[in-house]
Amino acid sequence: MTQGFQAVIGLEIHVQLNCATKMFCNCPNRPGDEPNRNTCPICLWLPGNLPRFSQEALEKATLACLALNCQIQEKSAFDQKVYYYPDLPKGYQLSQFHRPLARNGWLDIVGEDGNSQRIRIQKIHMEEDVARLVHEKEGRTPVSLVDFNRAGTPLVEIVTEPDLHSPRDAMEFLRVLRTQLRYSECSQCSMEQGSMRVDANVSVRPLGRDLLNPKVEIKNMNSIRHVGDAIAFEMDRQVECVRGGEPVVMHTRLWEPDARITVPMRGKFEGPCVPDPSVPPVVVEDSWLQEIIQKMPEMPGAKVERFVTRYGLTHEEAQHMSSEREVSGYFEKALDHEAPPRLAAQWIATQLLPLLKEREVSLETTSLDPGRFAGLLFMLGREEINVNAARDVLKRLLESTATAAEIVDQCGYRQVSGAEELEALVDRVLAENPSAVENFRKGASKAMGFLMGQAMQASKGKANPRVLKELMTKKLG
Amino acid sequence: MHSEVFSHVDPAPVAAKSEGGLLGKRVGVQSLFCVQGWPCEGGSRALKGFVPLEDATVVQRVKGEGGVLVGNTHCSELGLGVTRDSAARAVAEKHVDAAFMIDVLGEARMAAARAGLFGFKPSWGRISRFGLTGLAPSMECCGILAARWKDISAIFSAIASFDERDPSMVVPSELVAEGAQTGSGRNGMVAGFFPQSLERLSSEEREAFSLALGELEGAGVTLRQVEMKEFHLFPVAHQVIASVEASSSCGKYDGVRFGHRATGAKNWNDMYVKTRRESFGLLLKTFLFQGAYFQFENYAAFENACRIRARLVQETRKFFRELDMLVIPTQDNARDAFQARSLKELYSAFSCTLPANVTGQPALSLPGLYRSAGRDMGLQVVGSYLEDEKLFSLADRLVAHREGSA
Repeated sequence: MTQGFQAVIGLEIHVQLNCATKMFCNCPNRPGDEPNRNTCPICLWLPGNLPRFSQEALEKATLACLALNCQIQEKSAFDQKVYYYPDLPKGYQLSQFHRPLARNGWLDIVGEDGNSQRIRIQKIHMEEDVARLVHEKEGRTPVSLVDFNRAGTPLVEIVTEPDLHSPRDAMEFLRVLRTQLRYSECSQCSMEQGSMRVDANVSVRPLGRDLLNPKVEIKNMNSIRHVGDAIAFEMDRQVECVRGGEPVVMHTRLWEPDARITVPMRGKFEGPCVPDPSVPPVVVEDSWLQEIIQKMPEMPGAKVERFVTRYGLTHEEAQHMSSEREVSGYFEKALDHEAPPRLAAQWIATQLLPLLKEREVSLETTSLDPGRFAGLLFMLGREEINVNAARDVLKRLLESTATAAEIVDQCGYRQVSGAEELEALVDRVLAENPSAVENFRKGASKAMGFLMGQAMQASKGKANPRVLKELMTKKLG
Repeated sequence: MHSEVFSHVDPAPVAAKSEGGLLGKRVGVQSLFCVQGWPCEGGSRALKGFVPLEDATVVQRVKGEGGVLVGNTHCSELGLGVTRDSAARAVAEKHVDAAFMIDVLGEARMAAARAGLFGFKPSWGRISRFGLTGLAPSMECCGILAARWKDISAIFSAIASFDERDPSMVVPSELVAEGAQTGSGRNGMVAGFFPQSLERLSSEEREAFSLALGELEGAGVTLRQVEMKEFHLFPVAHQVIASVEASSSCGKYDGVRFGHRATGAKNWNDMYVKTRRESFGLLLKTFLFQGAYFQFENYAAFENACRIRARLVQETRKFFRELDMLVIPTQDNARDAFQARSLKELYSAFSCTLPANVTGQPALSLPGLYRSAGRDMGLQVVGSYLEDEKLFSLADRLVAHREGSA
């Protein structure tokens, strides 16, 4: 439908910083508490009060900027973004409009064609969140209630250049961005819970042209999936407009997730931004910045490379192990306890994480420490147990405090690898299943699987499958 | 309790402390200063019934030094102008020893001059603004009025230390650095005056001003005439910037959390509009409209005003490489601040005081030196930025000189 056209997409991403206090007062930064519990004369903006900028907010914001490869500005400043709405009790929002904290960042994504593509970040600025409005009914009268818990929550707004050209790339960018920010531990970045909010500016143009057409801003997407869907819908809508000869005018639209469409919201209102005389300029001293840089962890890109070269993981395995800081931490701790690297990567990704998810615990909260987990992989690596047994042992490890070796011994999981012992077993199975043997000799390779299964069952799952197969092949051959 | 002088009076005022540098000093504050538990209505329906939860820092420090808070004086709406202000009267009639007034255009100096008092506006950033419900944060300061010079310097030293609740204050280390830059190594006092500030004086006033300058010389001050060609730009820069700041500052007056709230509105937007229409008086409304105009419709003019202000600050500072102070009349008879009911009249009447608000410099209106038509006109000396203490030594010298000659 959109053939012959290209989308031009820029994103504006608001991220709530996980600070202990609000941005301009000492109220706890817990928007989810009982309404209006976390308020004070400053964040209620009662007359006579003055904002006091939090150093913690600056630190977390700086981490975010560093995670996105931005240049931190030595001096930045807060402006008053003026608009009147019940969620903003002083009539302006403190936001770094004219002089942002950081500029000129970038993130690399893997584009649809498999090639790496650099997406530029224009700027990152700090701002305070506004109050939350709750629309309810008292009897039959609709009422709007204001909850000031969120008023003053520290945010950064990340503004990209219009470098994205497909819903898929936009989603990929957001995933990379989320990983980077979570790594720097400045935010949980949950779109579902509202700690990351994404607005997309979308326009379309004929393929191969450089022009920028009037853009449409879309809001109200609460997952990365929705961002992709909303952009895709908006592209179709705009292309249809263009084909129908109808001009696209700049405005704001709301994504309606149930109907899966965007609908016009309001004329875009740009309030003026005037410097705030009461909040002194934010000065980032180089010595302080160096301290923050020291706090930055190894970022995913560097980590993937190290995992590949140092531990011999495949690129994909390394990516899995670097996707989140707690995963990579767990992985490396397991390696400290002599888990074989590739086995550890595979078992964390395909066995441990799904089991934890079922049980609704995380790597941080699980009772299975990396040492005991490594013990299991160590035995598996040395073929002391087989894969099936290892799966069982893993489940048992999650429910006890015993070591893998203890469980293996107690429950008799130790693998039987002795050729003599297994040879007798193979002879018995072959004797008991003459028709399967016949079939195999006629060329039905499936029969081998059947015979292996029988033998494995006869060993109560303890036979070493590699030795078993060797014996079986020899006997049948 | 309510009177012509006070909008609120403490029925049994006592000192909170039995010792301190201000022991027994009675102080009145405009109803724009937060005093815990007292109404703080700022002469506006927008603040009707508002009772602060905490003391302003200046109030807290007066109490902490043994001073006595007597009551709230009346003020013009949110402190703009002096037409309804009673702070000077409270001092002149000896209800209090000193009064605090927000000085945004020169109100504290103007009211003091008219009443024959000392009126002092400190450097911007030397006194905490925490707990002041003013209009234009970058222009305004807590001004101090008193009949006796000693009271002003005592109060200043009691209230002027750094307060972390006002992060826009100048930090002590900057204070030292700034002080070391200017005026060092000069013995004696050099005062500048410039013809541009005298243009609108009557011939009689000019004569009186010359006499006042003569008194300064008598007290050992060296005079030097300077040129300030851009003097006429101060009111323009002030008006554009202050009105924009006022428009922002007044955003909080929506009738939701405190103050007057209009009834019978159809929805929240209508309620805001009605509330604000009913809350503000004509002069303030004009000012707010003007600020909103620059914010929403002519931001370029605001940016120009900011550039002009920066230039004026630079130019004025240059003078102070060779001067210790500038001498400017506080007011003249032709333009009466107490009758100013429009923005035009207001800015015209305060044109000689507002430059110190634009540049943030300390300024002091001295009584008894400059008299015309039988009235004390107030002689204003403007000091170098952050060198408030130097202005004090001049005042000490002048007061001593006059007491000696009397």
